[in-house]
This record gives sequence, structure tokens and C-alpha cells, in this order.
Amino acid sequence: MARLRVALLSSAHVHAAGWLAGLRQRAEVAVPGVADEDEARGRAFATEHGLTWFDSYEALLAEAPDAVVINSENTRHGELVELAAGAGAHILCEKPLATTAAEARRMLRCCEAAGVMLMTAFPMRFSPPVIAAREALRAGNLGRVYGCNAANQGQLPAQVPWFIDPQLAGGGALMDHVVHVADLLRWFFGSEVREVYALGNRILHQELEPQVETGGVVLLDFEDGSFASIDCSWSRPPQYPTWGNVKLEIVAERGLLTLDAFRQASTVYRRGTPGPQLAYWGSDANQGLIDEFVNAILEGRSPAISGHDGVQASAIAEAALQSARSGEALRHQNEMDAP
Amino acid sequence: MRVGIVGAGFMAETHARAWAATPARVAAVYAPREAPTRELAQQVDATACKSLEALIDQVDVVDICAPTDLHAAIGLQAAAASRHLLVEKPLARKLHEGEKLLQACQQAGVQLLVGHVLRFFPEYAAAQAAVARGDVGELAVLRLTRGSFQPWAGSSHWLTDDGRSGGLILDLMIHDFDYAQWLAGPVDSVYARSVRSREPDSAGDYCLALLQHRGGAISHIEGAWAYPQPLFRTALEIAGSEGLIEQPVDSTAPLSIQLAQQGAAAADIVAPTSPLAEDPFVSQMRHVYAVLMEGALPLCSATEALAALRVALAARESARSGRPVRPDNLEGRQG
Repeated sequence: MARLRVALLSSAHVHAAGWLAGLRQRAEVAVPGVADEDEARGRAFATEHGLTWFDSYEALLAEAPDAVVINSENTRHGELVELAAGAGAHILCEKPLATTAAEARRMLRCCEAAGVMLMTAFPMRFSPPVIAAREALRAGNLGRVYGCNAANQGQLPAQVPWFIDPQLAGGGALMDHVVHVADLLRWFFGSEVREVYALGNRILHQELEPQVETGGVVLLDFEDGSFASIDCSWSRPPQYPTWGNVKLEIVAERGLLTLDAFRQASTVYRRGTPGPQLAYWGSDANQGLIDEFVNAILEGRSPAISGHDGVQASAIAEAALQSARSGEALRHQNEMDAP
Repeated sequence: MRVGIVGAGFMAETHARAWAATPARVAAVYAPREAPTRELAQQVDATACKSLEALIDQVDVVDICAPTDLHAAIGLQAAAASRHLLVEKPLARKLHEGEKLLQACQQAGVQLLVGHVLRFFPEYAAAQAAVARGDVGELAVLRLTRGSFQPWAGSSHWLTDDGRSGGLILDLMIHDFDYAQWLAGPVDSVYARSVRSREPDSAGDYCLALLQHRGGAISHIEGAWAYPQPLFRTALEIAGSEGLIEQPVDSTAPLSIQLAQQGAAAADIVAPTSPLAEDPFVSQMRHVYAVLMEGALPLCSATEALAALRVALAARESARSGRPVRPDNLEGRQG
């Protein structure tokens, strides 16, 4: 008998299938079904994964699930968080939690009032190479950190058009790919971002006439004096051997730490395919994220990724977009810390 | 063609070796310190001069491998005597010095060549050629990395004196500022962070700079004087509308030998190397010879070298002020 029922709200995000697979690894978990405001998309997802289809979020939430995973387009996270919190369900929300800091804070207040947890999907915190890097840093052997050159570059998820729709995504590459590494850096350094500067352009994938930035780089100042850049560009071409990367090079007083979180992969050359493909054999960080969400609920404790973490990452992404637009660096700490 | 090398340090030796592979003859060497001057002169069978004037008298080309803050004064003296100039990068320590040298060489009708040797490194040259052919389409994001340990750590060598060398940004990262502009055109705005702009006495230095090119491309430039000995790494990545060129860190090393180097065995300074039939410094000197003797067009014009200096100085100013800086708005005496 399942002890925990976790429903899926929307299947808009490409990660939805991965979260479902993670939930199904857990014997304690049952998935009562999926709802989606896009009926064709939701029905197709339900059929493909053998899930019960609900024709409204309200109908699915009326089943009183213990928790939900929100996989909607970025700008729809808020309304679904509100609905789920109203139904008393704990929430795992796809990143970015929201596309503005104000919206993220509103969502967090709503969950606090309802007494439910609001965890943002930052699976990289559960990647063993990432954890090992953090432990090495925290052990102090590298000395004081000078700075970090990071990248979370990827292919444009072209099969999902909303990623380049400003109304639904709230931004482009800066909104999609800054938050993962921004969250890791906050977690690594134990320090908050003080200032944000970013550049973006729409030169990559220009054949799609994108209304959002497809290339971008952000430079962050931290309270502890260190600084870091994140290249969030959708700059991996379609024939690239893998979807993208998460890479960090941390330069410190007493050494250099390089982390390539998806390096644990073999190169495969197959007759009939245009080029090599990387076959990843490292550990599944997504499972770690799902396990943390499930365990936190079962154990009645706070999850490792707090609502505050989700708010801070959203604030950084919003500031990056504003900076890219204005050409100015944004001192953003007060904004990010505002209640 | 008779060449006079001003300086007798690491770069003077590197240039002297490269000249040997050309029809030019190193005829004279001058540096204020007598012993190293004699030693280098002996190596290349040149006259060890007692003064800059004496050197200028004996040569057709003055190759300036002196400390950065002396480039302009030496160059002006040589230009006044109508000698062609090869100046090791950066062109000058301050913007107004670089501008003055450019003017003086134009007026004297002599060539002003600047040793942006990176343009002769085959991986960088190949990537530039691919971009020029249109292989990657319109450039979107360039990523350039260059880092080593702190050269001459713990010594009073001029390279460790920010006032003289301009530090990491002017001495090392200028390679990539020049390269970025070679590929993606002029830079409108620079935003940078560095360790020493906040803590001048820090043991190492590290800098990240973001460049907004006028044509729309973005460059991300990373420089380090902070790695453990004997590490020297470079990387380049160019993403455009039609494709991607990757040359990751360590990918230029078909041969790797890792030896512990500490204390007395550690080098004070190194240049990046990859086993090649022709050293990039030799390629550069062959080119310099072709420009001066055979009328070839300079691969890097003095104007481009000045533009690289402008961007580097803008990065220093941005790291200091914390604000984005427009290279075009820099004042001449800023440094």
C-alpha cells in the first residue's frame, strides 16, 4: 500500500517524464494521475506513461494527493503552486521557481500559510561529482576562493516551442540555464549574490526569430568577495554528442578545482548516426532529488532545497534579464532578501 | 635586415631564438643590466650595446622586449631615428603612450608591429580562418581562457609590479582581448572582476571579463595568475549561428608529462607549448620579416594593437570601479 500519493501538474516541461520515472522507483509512492491545461499534450503524456488523465487541475487535486510535481511552463508555476497549496499538497516545482523574485516570494508565502513544503527542482545538488566538489571546497584545502568560471550550456529544446516564448518562459537562455549553477554556487560558497551583470543576444537559432535571448553570460558578485560567471547559452548544435553540460572551474588561493558534472560518459560511434553520442553512466541525480522530496515528506522534515533557495535563484535570473536589457549591473541583495 | 633587441629577459631570449629562423640577423642587444645583455649577445653573435642610442645606430629594426612601461619611450626614440619597430605586447602601459607611439611611427613612416603572437598559434589561426570562411555563421558567444601560475612569484621582477606591467589583465589577457576583436570586431562595453583590483597584495590574481561587441557578439575572457606550478592552460570556444568550434583546456597537448616542480626546480615563467614543426614565435618572426622586407600586410595592425590595449585598460577600470566601461570613453592617462 502506497504511503504517499504524488500527482503531476502539467507535462509541459521536458523533465516531467524523468520526475515520473523517479517517483516510480519508490515503492512508497503512487501517482494518481496527471492534469494539463493542454488536453492533447496531457492525454498523450498520460497514454505514453500509463497514467490516469484528469481534465482539470481541480479534479486531480480533489483526489487529495499528498504532494504534487509541477511541470508547467515557467510563468504558470505561480497559479499551480497556489492551487496545490490550497489543496494542502506538498510541492516540488520545476526550476525556475518563478520568473520574478516578487512572484517567487508570493508563492513561498502562500505555501508557508498552507503549511506545505515548496521545493525547487535543482537536481544538480544530488550529483555525486557536484557533492564531492562541494566537500572539497568546504574542507578548505583550496583556501579562499578567488572566482569561478561556470557553464550550463545546452541545446535549444526546440521540440518544446514555449522555451522561446517570452509569455510562457519569462525569458530565454538566461531564465532557463542560470538558476542551476547560481543555486550550486550559493550552496558551495555559503554566500549570497550581491550584484548581477549579464549580456545576452539572439544570434544563435536566429532562423526561429526568437523573441528571447538564445545566448547569454552572467557575472555574479558574492557577499564573500568571490565572483563567478555562468555561460547559459543554448550554444550546443543539434549534432552535438550530448544535450549540454554543467561545468565549474573554481580558482582559489591554493589551487584549481574543475568540475564537469556529466563527464562520466562513454563516446559511442554507431553506423547510421551522423556523429558520436555520449552515453552517460554516472549516477542519476534526478533520483536523488525525488528521493529527497519523498523522504522529507515521509519524515516530516524540511527538504534540503528550501523555498528561500528557490526565491534567491529566481531573483538572480530576473536580475540577469534586467541587466542584459539595461546594460547596467544590478545591486540586488535588498531586493532578493525582501520579505 | 639587422635587428636590435632591447631587453635581455625571457621574451628577449624567445625573440632571439625566433629571429634565428629568419634571414634577419640580430646585430645588437641592449639592456641596462650588463651581464644578461652580454650573455644574450654572445648567444646570437651580436654586439652588446652600452646604450639604446648605440643599438639604434647599428640596426634597421628595433625589437622591444623591455618592461611594458618602457615600451613607449624606447619606441619613440627608435621611431625618431626612422627605425621600424616590433614591440612585444602590450603596445604600451598607458593609452596615451600607445597613441603617441602610433602617431610617431606614422609621421616617421616606419612600421609599428606588435607581438600579438597568439594570432600565430595554429589552433587560434585555424579557428579564425574557419570563422572568416563563415563555417560557424554569425558569431554569438566567444569563450577564451588563459591561465598560469603567478610568474616570478615572490620576486621583485617588473612583471609583478602592477604599475610597470599592468598585471594579469594587460600582460596575459590582452592576448585574448586582441583575438576576440580580431574575430568579432570592436568592443563597445567591458565588464570585469579581478582579485587584485580589490586586494593589490593578493598572492594570485584571477579575472573574468565580459565584452559586448558592437556587432552583437559576446566574449567571455578568463585570465589567471593563480594556478599551481607548473600549470599553463588555454581554451577557446566559438559559438555562432551555424556552428560551434571547441578547443578545450588540455586538448592542445598530444603529449603530457607531469613532473612535480617545486622550489628551485620551478620555472619563474613559461609560455604555452604544443609540439609543432614550427614554433608560433618563429611563425611570427617570419611574418614580421615578410612585412618589413617583402611588403606583406601586417596580420595585426598597430591600430588593432591599440584597440586591444584600450579593451584591457577598460577591463582594469571596470574591475576597479565595478561598473561597465566603454573603451571609447577611456582617458589617455588611465591605466
